[in-house]
Amino acid sequence: MRKLNVWTGIVFGVIVAVAAHYLAKRYIPMGADETGTVLMDRVVITTMFGWTLGFMVGVGAFVGPYRWMMNRDLDHDDQMWLAGKDAGMARYFRFTTDHKVVGIQYLVMTMVLFAVGGTMAMMIRTQLMHADSTFLNNTWYNTLVGMHGIIMIIATIIMVSGPFGNFVLPIMIGARDMAFPRLNALSFWLIFAAVPVLLSAPFLGGISTGWTAYAPLSTQAPAGMDAYIVTIIVFAISSAVAGANITTTAVTMRARGMTWNRTPIFVFGTVASVGVAIPAFPMFMASQIFSGLDRTQGAAFYDAANGGSGWLYANLFWLMGHPEVYVILLPALAALLELTPVFSRSPLFSFNSAVGGIAGITGLSMLVWAHHMYASGWAPDLNGPFMLTTELISIPTGMLFLVFIGTIWRGRVWGRLPMLAVYAMLFNFLIGGLTGIYMSDVPVDYALHGSMYITAHFHYTLMGGALTGMIGATAYWFPKMTGRMLNEKIGIPAFVIMQVGFNVTFMGMFLVGLQGQQRRVAHYDKLFENGNFISTMGAYTIGFGALMLLYTVITSWRRGEVASDNPWGAKTLEWMVPTPVPLENFEVPPVVTSDPYGFGGPDAYDLEYEADRRPSDDLETERV
Amino acid sequence: MSPVSVSTRIRHFTKRTYVRHVFLLWVFFTIIVGLFAPLQSKLMGPAASTQMEVVQETMTLFTYMAAPVAGLIFAVVAYSLLAWRSKGFVAPEYEGTSSRGNGPTTVAWMLVSSLLCVVLLIWGLAEMADGQTARGDERARIINVTGNQWVWNFDYIENGSVRSQELYLPVNEPVLFHVTSVDVNHSFWIVQMGVKVDANAGVVTDMRVTPTLIGDFDIRCAELCGLNHSAMFTKVHVVSQGDYLAWILKNGGHQ
Repeated sequence: MRKLNVWTGIVFGVIVAVAAHYLAKRYIPMGADETGTVLMDRVVITTMFGWTLGFMVGVGAFVGPYRWMMNRDLDHDDQMWLAGKDAGMARYFRFTTDHKVVGIQYLVMTMVLFAVGGTMAMMIRTQLMHADSTFLNNTWYNTLVGMHGIIMIIATIIMVSGPFGNFVLPIMIGARDMAFPRLNALSFWLIFAAVPVLLSAPFLGGISTGWTAYAPLSTQAPAGMDAYIVTIIVFAISSAVAGANITTTAVTMRARGMTWNRTPIFVFGTVASVGVAIPAFPMFMASQIFSGLDRTQGAAFYDAANGGSGWLYANLFWLMGHPEVYVILLPALAALLELTPVFSRSPLFSFNSAVGGIAGITGLSMLVWAHHMYASGWAPDLNGPFMLTTELISIPTGMLFLVFIGTIWRGRVWGRLPMLAVYAMLFNFLIGGLTGIYMSDVPVDYALHGSMYITAHFHYTLMGGALTGMIGATAYWFPKMTGRMLNEKIGIPAFVIMQVGFNVTFMGMFLVGLQGQQRRVAHYDKLFENGNFISTMGAYTIGFGALMLLYTVITSWRRGEVASDNPWGAKTLEWMVPTPVPLENFEVPPVVTSDPYGFGGPDAYDLEYEADRRPSDDLETERV
Repeated sequence: MSPVSVSTRIRHFTKRTYVRHVFLLWVFFTIIVGLFAPLQSKLMGPAASTQMEVVQETMTLFTYMAAPVAGLIFAVVAYSLLAWRSKGFVAPEYEGTSSRGNGPTTVAWMLVSSLLCVVLLIWGLAEMADGQTARGDERARIINVTGNQWVWNFDYIENGSVRSQELYLPVNEPVLFHVTSVDVNHSFWIVQMGVKVDANAGVVTDMRVTPTLIGDFDIRCAELCGLNHSAMFTKVHVVSQGDYLAWILKNGGHQ
């Protein structure tokens, strides 16, 4: 077991993949009426699952169950070794169970995914700079659009729950690790295994669908589609495992005295997010399994000519697809809700409303999916009810906005990078959210659906809102996770450049969307060229700012100013432990006696308000 | 201490400088956001159908409704950065307020946002009912639309067996399109008329529109349908009744 690491994983994964490939090519039959592409799909899928299985075995994911089966269960030393005790940097490159290691692994993985997806975005925008550009051919363009989409979706799903749900959350609730440390490492390495699978798609003919992989186009698509299918199946397993872990941890492992009323809001947001993911991602998995069966076995799930329906795919997909955006958003918003009191030196405005808002979003999110299908013609009579549920979501979302501005109200605002992220999110998500309300109106959606307006809307919410939140969370928890302060002399200008670039890019897309440009087009009418040019310039600005930010993160991590244990003066438990955080977090499990929002003091207006108040019972002496 | 009435408390509240300043900022930002309404309409261009007129009306109304909401958020954000910020890199010396919430504010916010939601909903349902009244009541001209990679074909079934890749429509007459696809999902979008419906293989979907302007408008495929999705484009020519008939007859159809 102690010899297994990422390298043995890769080697073994390649070996099993090659073996699977040969066996598949040799022994998988092809029917008389089937074409060569079907056989290729079967071989490709088998090879990719072979890689995944081989990698997971090689990295040591199954050591625990294997040893248990062999009746040589892991002893205490083994567990400590698995947790990375005294292992230095090597522990980041193997199957390590310490939640802090897994959190850092997720953070690096997320940054890599954003870099890859972001580069693809730069290429897409370069193509779109001119109406008739030949920078990319249509196959490459469609592939990049789809790849950019799915890479960013995966990255944004894991970007807060992965790094901070893992590193911070257990410490924040006073626990020594998560409920299922080995499953924690499993969830990370499953994604690691899936990444090369996904990135192989362009070399297998690409994907001709967008990230939504609609059937029946997905049945027709080249072998790159198989990479997408396998990736999603593996990713769904990873997120199910992670979801079970986070939920169990938060529900059962809070420290003594940490009642739900004293539990930090970040915990609520993260648990709500995975709570929504747990029913939703299996739908995605099912949709892809059916797609794979349609492609390789001639099943007719989505083939109308043989009794299937493309609408089955759309429903399965959006049953995942809508809750999924809240999976992305909730942890990011919750992280910002967590840091806003610290940087306003004021308690969270109405903790109960924040919890209520999160609960409302979570509940309603499962009921709105077909607003993505208003124009599909599937069930026009259901458009009204889905319009109702969709418009209702604005109420709990608005409640969270009230909590943000209520916390800032009469606060003492400390304008460091984490707090700047709050402001940027409030601006961007407001625009994203309000434009969502336009689209929730069915007749308006008939005009706007499938246009760049939609693209602009979801980038404003997912990127302007959620990703900005993740940047804030990174800046906030950076000192605890890395022991160094994030350099704000470069970090803040980088962030501002990214935000300015972001708004230029996607405002441009609202404009061309209103003018009538569809989404996912490699060429467009001359009419849209000015708007697209502006968007491309904005995109390059984002790229420049992102590189600056990456530079800041890397250099700060390596030789930034050493951080104290609690540089922000926060009150949640993770700031009460030393930095670097000891292996088991707490020497003695903490006992919690209050919530972590005890900021603020009376100011001139508080005193004036005091004078205005009705006398309370304990002022009885005054009446006498 | 004597009990203080609600109206007195409100008066005291409105006298505070920061409240007045935030209010002024609120008005300012509301106006700025409201200015987006005419910009939206300008970008969308003249409405070429009754449906598009409703769409533009809705977007204008929603923008005016959103303006005070956005304005309030922007006002608080801006004011906090101007007046409540502790300057500098080091932690603030003073704390902010210790208030943990305000019941009346929360309740009022819930009520107002619910009310806005109800207005949105009623407006939306009314719009949709309008669009549905044509079903069975009004006599609409039926035209079949078939999408395939990567062209649109139109069958003027009420005028004989005229099949064309060009769409001609008579102005001010309601049309009912029966849309389908022979391969993958497409989406039949008449841009300036603000209507679209997906074209799905094996099923027929319906779309109603009443063109109100004479001219040439764009039909774009709005669902990624493979390699040449961006080229799946044609025009609709909205002409007078007479010109429409002339075109039909020229293409071998009948009245």
